[in-house]
Amino acid sequence: MSLQEALESGKFVVTAEIAPPKGTNTDEIKHLLDLYDGRVDAINATDNQSAVMRMSSLALSKIVLDHGHEAVVQMTCRDRNRLALQSDLLGAHALGIRNVVAMTGDHVIAGDHKQAKPVYDVESVQLLQMIRSLNEGRDMMGTPLKGPTGFYAGAVVTPEANPLEPQLIKFAKKVQAGAKYFQTQAIYDITMFNIFMSHARKMGAKVLAGIVVLKNERMAQYLNDNIAGIRVPAGMIAELAAAPSKAEKLETGIRMAARLIRQLKEERICDGIHIMAIGMEERVPEIMKQAGLLSD
Amino acid sequence: MIITKKRDMDAILDNIRNYRHVFLLGCSECATLCATGGAEQLEEMKTLLTAQGKEVTGMFVAKTGCQVLGTKVELRQHAEAINAADCILAMACGAGTQTAVELFEDKPVYTVNDTLFLGNMTRLQQFHERCSQCGECILDKTGGICPVTACPKGILVGPCGGCKDGKCEVSPDVPCAWVKIYERMKRIDQLQEFCNTILPPKDWSKNTKPRIRNAKETKESP
Repeated sequence: MSLQEALESGKFVVTAEIAPPKGTNTDEIKHLLDLYDGRVDAINATDNQSAVMRMSSLALSKIVLDHGHEAVVQMTCRDRNRLALQSDLLGAHALGIRNVVAMTGDHVIAGDHKQAKPVYDVESVQLLQMIRSLNEGRDMMGTPLKGPTGFYAGAVVTPEANPLEPQLIKFAKKVQAGAKYFQTQAIYDITMFNIFMSHARKMGAKVLAGIVVLKNERMAQYLNDNIAGIRVPAGMIAELAAAPSKAEKLETGIRMAARLIRQLKEERICDGIHIMAIGMEERVPEIMKQAGLLSD
Repeated sequence: MIITKKRDMDAILDNIRNYRHVFLLGCSECATLCATGGAEQLEEMKTLLTAQGKEVTGMFVAKTGCQVLGTKVELRQHAEAINAADCILAMACGAGTQTAVELFEDKPVYTVNDTLFLGNMTRLQQFHERCSQCGECILDKTGGICPVTACPKGILVGPCGGCKDGKCEVSPDVPCAWVKIYERMKRIDQLQEFCNTILPPKDWSKNTKPRIRNAKETKESP
């Protein structure tokens, strides 16, 4: 089932994110793809995330697709100008990839090639407009294409951004520019997320809540202090701190993630989840099981 | 104004290692305000060079170093000192330096400064970049705050996901340009325009270098 069919069917959709390798060896990737077999609806390939140079998201998306998964290619505007973005989109379509998530992309200063020239010839909303144009059979200059693309375009959003209003306005512009679904920054606080969802529901786009498992209270504090738009509530930090050992802190984090997912699903708060495992991929099946998403 | 910063003295000395006689050329405009090319800095440079065994044959602070014809006229009275110099040290911006290159075809010219940006002096000796000279102003669409310059990504449609508590992901010292634009447009009663506008990607053909502008032309230059 395609991601679009899954989201439109009304089922609680699960997407997971995989980072391409820094190198050419894809053994680990293939292991993760096996692990996710039959468990997730689609797999995102990240695009030099955190501005750290890796294999291209386009190449990994093709590997994901060949493995039998639904692939979502993430595209940032940091590394390519409008020519390169369009030609990669045409290439992605030709390779069979049908889902693209458009984002502006972390600044190069965050990454491992700090001297690089950041591009940002377009940004996320303009990239979505570009995708819509390619879907309609024209490049962004209006020149007809020999064969249009057929992308199901998505985007990202930070539900707990501060200040929130300009982020919500940008969210609306993404919807207007053709984003049909959103994968969110990691969320922890259902009350805050509900405020965002009451706004998002009016816009008609599908929302997959971002899930990042907390390993301990230090990680939670780090996210709060350093990552834009992430707010782990004090109660959760206390719960992690109360766990006596490293292993038990991790189990607590997994239980909290599962609890959050279960609530999102049971109360139909959003349309699914987007799991950013960040090294915790092996535990994803268990989290899903605890959350009631897997029967085995 | 054009903001400049003096380069390392070692790099300056290395450039002129083969020359003994030096003429110093400053500028009374931006470089003076930046303390990189005023009378005071020329005196300091003279002292430093003399201590290094160089001989300063003369020095002059041009009124407007990037004004080629005016500078040419001003420098006539220094012809002798310039003739006696093996090279010219330009204590100006990159443009002012190239005035000297244009005027003295047979003489090596070295810049003393790195040219940083076009900006405003907000407090004494404190400068902030304000304009990227992109060639197609959008200040009328963004509440008068330039996102091409104030946003490290130069993006044109609202804040990116890296905005944290109104600050930029590049540095917590940098305010998010798009939050500033949002707040400003709200304050001047243009929130609806902020919500309704999706600026198109910039026309970078307006930025094809080197750009030439002939203000005398009646027809717009391309």
